[in-house]
Amino acid sequence: MSENTLQYIDNNSIFHRVDALSKLGWVLIVVIFTFQFQSAEARGIMLASLLMCALLFARIPITAILRASPLIFGVAFLLGIFHLFITPGINTLFSLGPLTATQEGLTKGLEFFFRLAIMVMASFMLIWTTDIRELMVGLVHLGIPYRYAFAIFMALRFLPIVQQEVDAVKAAHAIRGRASSSPVRHRFRLWQRYLFTVIVNGLRKAESTALAIESRGFGAFPDRTYVKDFRWTFLGIVLMFLFIILGTWLIFWERHLF
Amino acid sequence: MTQPASPSSASAGPIVRLSGLTYHHYGKTAPALTDINVEIKRGSFTLLVGPSGSGKSTLCMLLNGIIPQILGGKLTGTVIVDGKDVSESKVQNMAHSVGLLFQDPEWMFATLQVEDEVAFGPENLRLPPQEIAAQVTKSLEYVGMNHLRKNLVWALSGGQIQKLGLAAVLAMSPEIIVLDEPTANLDPATTHSVHELILRLREEGRTIILVTKDLDEFMAQADHMILLSEGRVLAQGTPRDVISEHGSIMLDLGVWLPDPTEIGLRLKQLGLLKNKAVPITVAEAVIALKDIRFKEISSIKKETIIGEILVRAENVQFGYTRKTKTLHGVSFDINQGEIVAIVGQNGAGKSTLSKMLVGLLKPSHGSLSMFGRKASQWNVQDLANDVALVFQNPEHQFLCDTVHEELAYSLLAQGIVDPGEVEKRVNSMLERLNITDAAETHPFSLSAGSKRRLGVATMLVGGRARLLIVDEPTYGQDRRLTERLMELINNLRSEGITVIMITHDMRLVDAYVDRALVMANGEKIFDGTPSDLFQSPEIIERASLRTTALRRIVDGLRAAGTPVPNGLNIVDSFVAAVAFV
Repeated sequence: MSENTLQYIDNNSIFHRVDALSKLGWVLIVVIFTFQFQSAEARGIMLASLLMCALLFARIPITAILRASPLIFGVAFLLGIFHLFITPGINTLFSLGPLTATQEGLTKGLEFFFRLAIMVMASFMLIWTTDIRELMVGLVHLGIPYRYAFAIFMALRFLPIVQQEVDAVKAAHAIRGRASSSPVRHRFRLWQRYLFTVIVNGLRKAESTALAIESRGFGAFPDRTYVKDFRWTFLGIVLMFLFIILGTWLIFWERHLF
Repeated sequence: MTQPASPSSASAGPIVRLSGLTYHHYGKTAPALTDINVEIKRGSFTLLVGPSGSGKSTLCMLLNGIIPQILGGKLTGTVIVDGKDVSESKVQNMAHSVGLLFQDPEWMFATLQVEDEVAFGPENLRLPPQEIAAQVTKSLEYVGMNHLRKNLVWALSGGQIQKLGLAAVLAMSPEIIVLDEPTANLDPATTHSVHELILRLREEGRTIILVTKDLDEFMAQADHMILLSEGRVLAQGTPRDVISEHGSIMLDLGVWLPDPTEIGLRLKQLGLLKNKAVPITVAEAVIALKDIRFKEISSIKKETIIGEILVRAENVQFGYTRKTKTLHGVSFDINQGEIVAIVGQNGAGKSTLSKMLVGLLKPSHGSLSMFGRKASQWNVQDLANDVALVFQNPEHQFLCDTVHEELAYSLLAQGIVDPGEVEKRVNSMLERLNITDAAETHPFSLSAGSKRRLGVATMLVGGRARLLIVDEPTYGQDRRLTERLMELINNLRSEGITVIMITHDMRLVDAYVDRALVMANGEKIFDGTPSDLFQSPEIIERASLRTTALRRIVDGLRAAGTPVPNGLNIVDSFVAAVAFV
């Protein structure tokens, strides 16, 4: 029953009611604008807007955001630090041994931090608030053959179960005790085994899933019907429109200001 | 409920006909099924029985064409299902004829929401959406889950998952419904409710083929029984005929049989049940045995030497999240040398408790002390030497590439490093488990029974464990394998090891256990002997348990005025105590 970071959060917020394709379009709009911005201020405002949307309109629990924050901010932070030190520049800020941070590095570091954090945050908001089935139906609506659209969907559907399997294997291994005196070797062996056990069981289960869905007529015809067919929502258009306005205004604002 | 799609097409002939069928799995030289000739009538109810590995699941997968269409292999003979030759029609095209419910339907689910899952099959068949929507509601109502239609599938309980699987199959209106062990891991009351659904389908005239080890409720209802062993049909006919003519073979093969049948067969073997048919229900057994007399037995009570307290739980609480609690203040003691069962419905907190006892989880409130020390001071590695836990899926525990290495690993982990000593102990354990031949085999390629026993062995080979916890010993095992595992456990107990068993199997509880802890909704609602438990109908009801058929026979006999001594809680002791009938 482990809580999963990459999992649909069922709370029927305004954001949940936006159709899946509009949300996908919204993620693209956010990413495109983020790459157009030239200042840390504009990117910061975009990230803040996303966080505000997540908390207020998508009603994502703050605990879920915190749990995902190593993925959202942690990786972006490391990328930022990396650029802080490797970017050549003339205005030295401080030195750490052989490493020198420059003003140019700080700018570059912030740029990469914000870009990655915004992209990941927007994608998480899509996953948290979208029943992936709806996304699949949406993709079929756009003309993608349903077998392919379904493949993406199944992968995401099984992520939580794979996580459970990893937890179960970890627990079972822990109580076996440790046979080698070297902790590093022991860790290495355990990791090897997690992979082996999870992959072997995963393949078996993937096979039984494939058998089960084929038994239920999956792939019998080149197309299929949908009880809940895809429909564009007005809310979706509003969401995309609002972010286009926000992005455009930020571009004018930063270029006018600086 | 929807009727089978085309009753008008119903001909007098069989709906399933297997003739001269032999099948080899892909790449295997030994056949999985040999010379099978079976006919199943439209609208009949068929039970498929046999020991582990006898070919039951293979036969199920043949009926909807998964074999040979997807899994390949070599098939000779013919399989005609609903007028179609399965080796020539695609699996997807069989979907309207055969609905197959798998052992583990969690992996059968393709979507997130309950109602989407039910719609999935009919959508694939391109039925009009309005028609599907009506079908979804009907199917969900049928299994009593319409109120959960907006729920996510991963938030369902074990019983709900099975019922959803059944609803998803029903929504496709198949002519034939094939169920492969649909209740393998459900608590007794939930099993009963799934059984009621199956019987309702049967009354509505569906063709049903069922594989199960819980035969009690079906013996009198089924039209046809097929006994498989090593891929061959050993016998077929009405359950009554198969039992009376081949019952002894079924006992020898290790097929799970209902208590009334087993008692009848065993008494027949002893020459005690002459001129009477073998009973197949509790009611029949009570009638057949009404003149039974028992031998005078001075003491059949189990002798238990209760030692010091090993585990003491006081007001233990735990929650996986802040909002919901899984355990609400549980207190109990477990003494040296006992066999204790923890029982209760799915989700009652049994597994949480067992994880706490090996140190994987810590109580959020209350105190838990083990071997005289507070659990908060232990870590998993320390406890690993004293406590052994055998998981439901033993594969999760394996760390090495051969059985031999697996056992050696456990010894090394307990600080036994002398190579001679390791070799000696590993070999003696291999002999004890009767798997010396498999010493160099990969643990994953052992049979189900050997895997379970290796799971126990890896935990105990070091000889230092004082407490053994076994999670559902019967899961996925036939009767003989279970008996061997229980024999191993009983031997360990006689060596002074304390055993805690988590199980849904009331026969095991009644047969082997000194004390039962009953859990319901995160609380302990009973702590006492199995005899007292089975005499408390209120507890049985609250914890979703069921008394064993043997208990019901004894109660029935007593109600009819036949004296029955106390303590006859397993078929063995019951049969041994009979003087004449």
